[in-house]
Amino acid sequence: MEKLLEMAGKVCDQAEIYFCDPTASEVMFQKGELHDIESQFQSGIALRIIKDGKLGFSYTKNLINREEFLQNALNSLTGGVQALYDFPHTSSLPSLKTYNEHLGKVTSSSMVENCQRIADVFRKNTDAEIEVVAYKEIQNVRITNTRGTDVQSKIGSNGYWFSLVYPGGGAGISRVYEEKIPFSVSHNILDNLVKMYNASSKVCAISGGKMKVLFMPGSMYTLLWRLHSGASAKSVYEDISPIKNDIGKQIVSENITFYDAPLNDEVPGARSFDDEGVPTKKMNIIEKGILKNFFYDLNYAQKLGVKSTGHGYRSSMWGGDSITIKPSPDLGHPRIEPGEKSFEELVAMMDKGIILDGVMGAHSGNIPNGDYSVGVSPGLYVEKGEIVGRVKDVMVAGNVYDTLKKVIAVENKLHTCWGGKMPAILCDGISVSSK
Amino acid sequence: MLSKLKMILQKADADYADIRYEIKKETFITLDGKELSNIGSTSTDGYVVRVLKNGGFTSVSFTKEDDAEKALKTAQENAVLLGNNIDKPITLAKVPIIKDTFIPTLKEDPRGISIEEKLQLLRHYNDIPLAHDKIAITNMRYFEVTREKYFTSSEGAEIHENLITTGIGGGITSKEGNLVQNVRIGAGGSDGFYTLRDLDDIFEKRTKIVIDLLNAEPLKAGAYDCILNQGLAGVFAHEAFGHFSEADIVESLPAMRKKMQIGDKLGSDVLSIIDNATMSNQLGFYKYDDEGVAVREVKLLTNGVLTGRLHSRRTAQEFGEPISGHCVAEDYRYAPIIRMGTIYIEPREKTLEQLMAELGDGLYIVDPKGGQTSGENFTFGAQYGYIVKNGKKERMIRDINMSGNLYQTLQDITAVGNDLKLSKTGGCGKGQTNIRSCHGAPHILVKNVVLGGI
Repeated sequence: MEKLLEMAGKVCDQAEIYFCDPTASEVMFQKGELHDIESQFQSGIALRIIKDGKLGFSYTKNLINREEFLQNALNSLTGGVQALYDFPHTSSLPSLKTYNEHLGKVTSSSMVENCQRIADVFRKNTDAEIEVVAYKEIQNVRITNTRGTDVQSKIGSNGYWFSLVYPGGGAGISRVYEEKIPFSVSHNILDNLVKMYNASSKVCAISGGKMKVLFMPGSMYTLLWRLHSGASAKSVYEDISPIKNDIGKQIVSENITFYDAPLNDEVPGARSFDDEGVPTKKMNIIEKGILKNFFYDLNYAQKLGVKSTGHGYRSSMWGGDSITIKPSPDLGHPRIEPGEKSFEELVAMMDKGIILDGVMGAHSGNIPNGDYSVGVSPGLYVEKGEIVGRVKDVMVAGNVYDTLKKVIAVENKLHTCWGGKMPAILCDGISVSSK
Repeated sequence: MLSKLKMILQKADADYADIRYEIKKETFITLDGKELSNIGSTSTDGYVVRVLKNGGFTSVSFTKEDDAEKALKTAQENAVLLGNNIDKPITLAKVPIIKDTFIPTLKEDPRGISIEEKLQLLRHYNDIPLAHDKIAITNMRYFEVTREKYFTSSEGAEIHENLITTGIGGGITSKEGNLVQNVRIGAGGSDGFYTLRDLDDIFEKRTKIVIDLLNAEPLKAGAYDCILNQGLAGVFAHEAFGHFSEADIVESLPAMRKKMQIGDKLGSDVLSIIDNATMSNQLGFYKYDDEGVAVREVKLLTNGVLTGRLHSRRTAQEFGEPISGHCVAEDYRYAPIIRMGTIYIEPREKTLEQLMAELGDGLYIVDPKGGQTSGENFTFGAQYGYIVKNGKKERMIRDINMSGNLYQTLQDITAVGNDLKLSKTGGCGKGQTNIRSCHGAPHILVKNVVLGGI
């Protein structure tokens, strides 16, 4: 890598190399039984070069021929992608504990055993169709550039995802737990999920209208994708963010503080630098309902005349292979600050409403505008503060900025979920439609 | 290459093993508004080995040739572990052993066209919406993906096949005050660059629609009788029905499997659904799947009766049903899973005018905007639509998202048109992305559809 950087430095104004080598294994249980085990050993290198204000880019899985690899990047300069920014000079970074040696003790066998234990608890206590997945991921990420930056991190995690699927329905109550060290999911967690499943087994017919909706962590990405779109420097630059002119203004309920927490290394995946080597920091996007910051990568920061906030990540809405994706503004570690109510207290506050445990179709609809319209998957039905069953063929719809003005309480706990760590959020007056 | 793969496979200590090596070449251009934000060509490669041993069947993907032995060893260990923990040993359906090289014939090979010409063409189309004041931004991309695949198995299969997919697609966003609207646009295919020529008219029409959407009425949530246009009905065939034709999905949901036995009457008499990836000149076309099985036409639903299913070798054996050649991977990073090829609703006799007359009052809804299924329930968005009164299109509507139950909706499709159209771009995301996922339908009439509005 050093040699490649040296070669690139001679023919370009600036160069940057991004390296990563994810290894992963996954154990899958279906119908409560072991179904598949998969592993991967991947690695790759991506090169970005800047010459005369233009960007060149190439990537490879196997660095066999440095000359050819560099030539590919040089060839792409002719396209004329503007790059008026500089790669950062990052020297000192806080030291984060992102990898724990004990993770080595997690093997395919131990994951099978743990999945079996979870499946057995569910099988004994429910009639659900049981899915359990265990995974372990370790990767080194290194970013080095011709301005003297050379930062790297070894990141490891293991986790369990499981779902209790209502027979015939396909929708299920799902949870995910993730740690840096080997762990097993506690009995308490499994018991609570069993209770929730059994309480919601009956299908209730409801008539639509405005009602309370409890957005669970598992459905929160519906709202997050839209907030993300609104606060991204890309949307601001493209003038399609509905909150473009709202910094300092109250845009949602004061119950909502939405922030990025990259440095918290108590949980897996902490990062002291983004995928461009820019130092990261804790940053509020929305503080007590007031819009505080947009998030920037190097490219959009330069275009908008500000500094990168350390949010240039090689990611996309659907995941993808990081070496093949160019950095763009992304929130790596989004959180919503917990409130004061327990989950039980939130449910008790619902005279009538839906616990939106999961959704279908979060990617449909007008995301830039903040609109969403999602199928419940599943939606648990609450009457007089108690779960009495679940609803089917029901949609929940609104606009994220309107919905988050109607927040009446936030759960006192954060849960791992797709897109970050989130509490449950109770909103009133949300549109629910049904047959 | 195949001989090198055979050498690797020789070291396998297993009942069955296969290995796939792929070179993936991509050319990409992205325009955000007038700005070029990405351009280039690049190549990556990697391997996937699969091993059947001790009744367990597992896979490992890797990118370095030096890791081949480690990968085989890991796959073997995992297979033994799997075999020790399942009641019924896995076996694979018997298939004809194929030795073949298949390089598709292209009309205008995109690889022979310069990147400058591709950029010029993309800019030309992109300028059509950008000429209008109310267009805030476009996000338009050109993509070209070549998969050079080499497959060999311990049974003696030796297959080399190339798949070359090209497309232009993206979004057009309009804005007035604080209101933002967007539509999607896409074209392309599996048989050459010619599919990207002469698209001005399509870009003009999409631009008009996204501008008109600024004045469209938000839809009031409720249940409506609807005509779905071809694009949207095709997504229904894919999302709501197609995924449950995939044996690996229905296998994981015992209650659904019970309800979806071959011979069961599931839909109305007018409804027949077919998957046929053997049709050349269509996006979904391929010859062999990623376990070396020749793809074949499968009649999934015939006059409302379930008549077939999409299979891998493992599920065909497990279900005791015919192999179909539908086990496909996104690229070298993944083991193959069961995917639809080209799924479509078979056309009948009715014209759109006849369907509109039959609808009377209801909605005419147009073109997909993302869809998802979860068991028997599905949801998907429409890009725009119209209120229909007495069989006539009236005001334009927006914010249309439909949700429904598979079994109920199969019964509620009461009429099928005669104007089949297949999709030009794909992108099904069942764990892996399938850019060749092709679907289609004629116009269809569906009763009592739940629409979310906003």
